[in-house]
Amino acid sequence: MFLGGVILLFLIAPLVGMFISVKSPELFSTLTDNAVRSSILRTLLISALATIAASLLAIPLAYLLARRTFPLKGVVEAIIDLPIVIPHSAAGIALLGFISRDSLLGSVADSFGITLVGSPIAIGLAMAFVSVPFLITSARDGFAAVPIRLERAAETLGAGQFTVFREISLPLAKRSVISGLVLMFARGMSEFGAVVIVAYHPMTTPVLIFDRFNSFGLDYARPVAAIFIVITLLIFVILRIYQKR
Amino acid sequence: MLEINNLIYSVGNFTLGPISLTLEKGEYLALFGPSGSGKSLFLELISGIRTVQSGTILFDGNEITYTPPQKRPVAMLFQDFALFPHMSVIDNITFPLKMRGYTADEKRKRADELGGYLSIDHLMNRSVEGLSGGEKQRVALARAIACDPAILLLDEPLSALDQELREEAIALLTLVKSSSRAIIHVTHNRDEIQELATRTQYFKS
Repeated sequence: MFLGGVILLFLIAPLVGMFISVKSPELFSTLTDNAVRSSILRTLLISALATIAASLLAIPLAYLLARRTFPLKGVVEAIIDLPIVIPHSAAGIALLGFISRDSLLGSVADSFGITLVGSPIAIGLAMAFVSVPFLITSARDGFAAVPIRLERAAETLGAGQFTVFREISLPLAKRSVISGLVLMFARGMSEFGAVVIVAYHPMTTPVLIFDRFNSFGLDYARPVAAIFIVITLLIFVILRIYQKR
Repeated sequence: MLEINNLIYSVGNFTLGPISLTLEKGEYLALFGPSGSGKSLFLELISGIRTVQSGTILFDGNEITYTPPQKRPVAMLFQDFALFPHMSVIDNITFPLKMRGYTADEKRKRADELGGYLSIDHLMNRSVEGLSGGEKQRVALARAIACDPAILLLDEPLSALDQELREEAIALLTLVKSSSRAIIHVTHNRDEIQELATRTQYFKS
């Protein structure tokens, strides 16, 4: 009990300390600061769009992993876990090489007049890269928990494979899929290491917090950090309420 | 109507077959045998849930051995009913109709017919989660016969029921016997099919 209390204290004390240290006038001026507001909005929007875009590919992959055996399935699952274990700044460097003008993707984008590096697209890619494992894992576990018998029953009642997925598997795995989406969104919006490499500007809020700390010190960064933590905590609380329902 | 020739299926150390049988319209074939003899597996092969490894299945002379389950004229009543827990009773019953593009009116009409026929019309808007065993069986049966399948497969339909419900279920199955439909009923209990079957066959392990 004592040891558990120590670890809980370790987690909560820095956050509580930060909220105590923030003065109301600073908080208010930060809340009304256009740079902060647009950064928060940008961060939430890009993470949301990255989550939606990635889910179109990630959810079918999760279903495949839950239902099929195929050669090198273990390798595929290991690849999915990679973004969790590799340093995120290293992931950013890898992504930078992947989207720079002299890469295949970068040169194709360039031919359409789009520069990926330093763009919201690069930010979205970095967010998706580090956070998609959470969606895939959660969705996969959700699909695996759907009794195969129900899918087979649906087939005998006239449903084709995609219809089985849409009418049976997805609705029954809904909670896990939604949890995965929210986790991916929350993780993506919190990402710093990979994002700061591929796109320092336009600044997401984690990058803004770092920039303010680096340029002006703790007191100037603290209010932004406090506001952003409140937002992430709100998302977390909503997720927990949904999971308990 | 249904013709099965030298059907073989192996899984692990177990091999089912070779099995050959024919089934005509109006026949009620009871397959009885011990647990583990492959009775449910046999039904899954006829329904198309599993793919035959050797042998053929013909329906009215047409080969359906590799036809996907959704295209076979077969419906199955599962041992545990396999009702969709996220759907209401009426949505469960009309699911096969929805798969075949029935309109809302057509679905409603057929659901009303089946509801009256099987005495479950008062349950239509309920979730399937709170239903009793007997009610679940009626709903599952209604769903299985909603599109009037030519072949109805019953996987141990009475084994999950107590004595009273079993008698009720036997009466129900007598109702669905029809001259235009063939039924295969698998069970490990020979006694329960005495009143129902027109033909019986023993399934060896």
